[in-house]
Amino acid sequence: MILLLLLRMLATLVHAGLMFALAPLLLGLVQKWRAWLLGRRGAPVTQPYRDLAKLLRKTPLIPEMATEYFKIWPVLAASAMSVAALLVPGFCTGLLTAGQSDFIVLAGFLLLARASTLLAGLETGFGFGGAGAGRDLLFGVFSEAALLVVILGLSLLAQNFTVDGVAVFFGSGKVGLSVSLGFALAAMLAVAVTEAGRIPADNPAGHLELGMVHEALFLEYSGKFLALFEYAAMLRLLVWFCLISTVFLPFGMARATDFWCWPVGVVWWGVKLALMSLALALFEVSTAKMRVFRVPAFLGTALLLGVLASVFLFVASRIGG
Amino acid sequence: MHFAPDPLSLLFLLLLLPQVVAAAIAGMRASPTYWVFVAGIFVALLAADAFTLIFGFELMSAASWLLVLRGDRKPATLYAATAMFSAACLIPALFIPASGLAFLLIFAGAGAKAGLAPLYSWLPLAHPAPPAGVSAVMSGGMVKVALYILVRYAFIVLAPAAAPWWGILLIAAGAVSVFIGALRAMLETEMKTLLACSTVEHVGLISTGLGIALYAKAMGDVTLAALAMQAALLCAVCHALYKPMLFIGAGVVKQTAGTTSLNELGGLLRGMPVAGFCCLLGAAGMAALPLGPGLAPILLLLHAIMSAAGTGGILSRIGFTALLAVLGMAEGLALGAAVRFFGIGFLGRPRSLRAAAAEDSGPAAKLAMGFLAVGCALVALLPGAVLSLMQPVVALLIPGAVFTTLGYQPLILLLLLAFCAIVLLGVLYNFATRGEREAETWNGGFGAAPAWLPFGEPATQPSATGFAEPVFRAIASTMLPRGGDAGEILLLVPLARLNLRLIRLAEYVRRATLRQRLAFVFAALVMFLLALGLITSR
Repeated sequence: MILLLLLRMLATLVHAGLMFALAPLLLGLVQKWRAWLLGRRGAPVTQPYRDLAKLLRKTPLIPEMATEYFKIWPVLAASAMSVAALLVPGFCTGLLTAGQSDFIVLAGFLLLARASTLLAGLETGFGFGGAGAGRDLLFGVFSEAALLVVILGLSLLAQNFTVDGVAVFFGSGKVGLSVSLGFALAAMLAVAVTEAGRIPADNPAGHLELGMVHEALFLEYSGKFLALFEYAAMLRLLVWFCLISTVFLPFGMARATDFWCWPVGVVWWGVKLALMSLALALFEVSTAKMRVFRVPAFLGTALLLGVLASVFLFVASRIGG
Repeated sequence: MHFAPDPLSLLFLLLLLPQVVAAAIAGMRASPTYWVFVAGIFVALLAADAFTLIFGFELMSAASWLLVLRGDRKPATLYAATAMFSAACLIPALFIPASGLAFLLIFAGAGAKAGLAPLYSWLPLAHPAPPAGVSAVMSGGMVKVALYILVRYAFIVLAPAAAPWWGILLIAAGAVSVFIGALRAMLETEMKTLLACSTVEHVGLISTGLGIALYAKAMGDVTLAALAMQAALLCAVCHALYKPMLFIGAGVVKQTAGTTSLNELGGLLRGMPVAGFCCLLGAAGMAALPLGPGLAPILLLLHAIMSAAGTGGILSRIGFTALLAVLGMAEGLALGAAVRFFGIGFLGRPRSLRAAAAEDSGPAAKLAMGFLAVGCALVALLPGAVLSLMQPVVALLIPGAVFTTLGYQPLILLLLLAFCAIVLLGVLYNFATRGEREAETWNGGFGAAPAWLPFGEPATQPSATGFAEPVFRAIASTMLPRGGDAGEILLLVPLARLNLRLIRLAEYVRRATLRQRLAFVFAALVMFLLALGLITSR
């Protein structure tokens, strides 16, 4: 009993270490794939680490119009995102945090990170921050609804409200391919792409302030505080990848109590992340960024697909049972 | 007058007590009308018979009408009309036997008083009118008394006649209130009106929970009924703590900055750190952020909806999925409203000179807000303990209730968050440059403002209206009728038009000439005889 608990604790530590260490690498990988697909050589995959180190070396500038909470928002955003990273299963299921990993709590921590980023955008009262925050909120209205509806379908299928429970259920191989899961996947991908601030909802490499959504929020930040926001964005991408892979690519996940299958789990996890980053890069180079007011329609489609997935799951269960 | 407290009335009494005390501390203790208002609330809650209940309820309505009238004359008339409508529905409902009609009357009467759709339009007008302490108790407490009547009658008194459609009616009204309340809270520019709209949203959430509980109870699913009931009651408890705190905070802003319009505020946090912190905590509750007071009830409610979607037929699956989508959108809008309330009002640059000079008010308001903030923190961190205290109430309302344990443990999550924050700060401390430099705000490369604008050009900062513009353009302008409030345009304006027509008709009859009157009497006589002849000849 004690041994199992120790194993789970060790697995949680390994999970935390991998998540926190590899988040910048994942972003570097996406950027590398993108550069290759565009026919460029691209920066090395370790470039995000160098960027973070550079930001840490620089002296942060504090705008004179900022309040005392100016330095709190980046810490809050990065910590909330870190908690989300600890809640979502990575290479194995059955972490110590499994009992707390309710889908709605996880969504809540993503929301907390977003709320502190939005407040950071309003902090110094400059035009781009407010405009970006207003747009981000509009996206959030639809992505929140779509996410909840997808969660509904998954939780009803697995009869469990936690991410860990859903991962175990999907990993057990009881779920076959079905149309409704395809709809749920499409809806979740749309939400993930929007939340992580990727094309088509937002352009992470854009340099025009007028078109920015996520970057516009921390234009006034510099130095280590900007590094915290950048790191939170990297973690967010990783959390969404993990969430999607645990539900829709459940094969090869290790169990925390079985030490000898951990290496296989880690390798599979790495392969899945690499494949998903390739898929993201392919998607990004093949589409253009949307106009801001087209994004609600994009997410509204996701919401509709989520509702359809939920209804089809019901029909399928009635026909199958 | 008879009094007989039971667990349900004690729960509502307990959840009302903190805000009554806080409002008294914050400055209402010298007003006799306020104490009559409070006495009415307590009489209604502790009543043992229908007469005492309605006496207390009407005492509360009358006193609060006087308090609204002192603040603003225009909404007071609408408020009085709503109170009269509610009384006209409630008084007969309390004395007729248990039936669907009785429930409908209770729903219309208590729903109108609680600000439930379709009769909610008075609430965003009337609640901001009186002084902050009264607004706090009206928004946090008075609507709860109306919900108390709804709960008592729907679950105890009328229980023998209960039918599933009662629950569906409550859920539908709740969902509409949630969406409209959240959307309007996102769009309003007055702080107190924004908070009142958010109250409409939370009343909708409570009503949705009650509706699911009623539906599940009628279908015989006691586990689901208990879950939904816990969600509704916990939502009422949390709302009764953070909403009064926010209203008292808005009162402090009104007092020191002279206005509550977000378009003229900004940067208040510098002058008023205590009120600012309390408002941040309350806004976190309003947006249902984790570790704040608002998440636990929302979590229970969403779990209840998901469980409800899993039981029953295809219609219930579609209906509850759609309900979940509506609540999800409302959650996004509520986050927007909370961010806007705090971000535009308390952060950024001051938009007027009075906002720049605003300071925290005296110790009374600080004490009141601090008192409620402690309550918020307790409920936020120990929702499990609050739920276990509520178990007798739920068992009273749903006989044979089966309780599921709450999976959400904020203390553990708070430890995790603190751990992550400490690790991050440690990394920053050891590996990052420690110096900082204050610099002029970059502001997208705009040049420095001239000397006569100490806080920069106000027009370069997004206003509250501008901040909500994307949501207005994408959602409100397509979903809501032009020119404002849906409940007003779809319900109150047609009623007013009907009233005008009837008055014109009455006026026409009054002015009729002798010949017209004789012709009318003659025609009526002929019709009557014709009808009599037709009936008797059959």
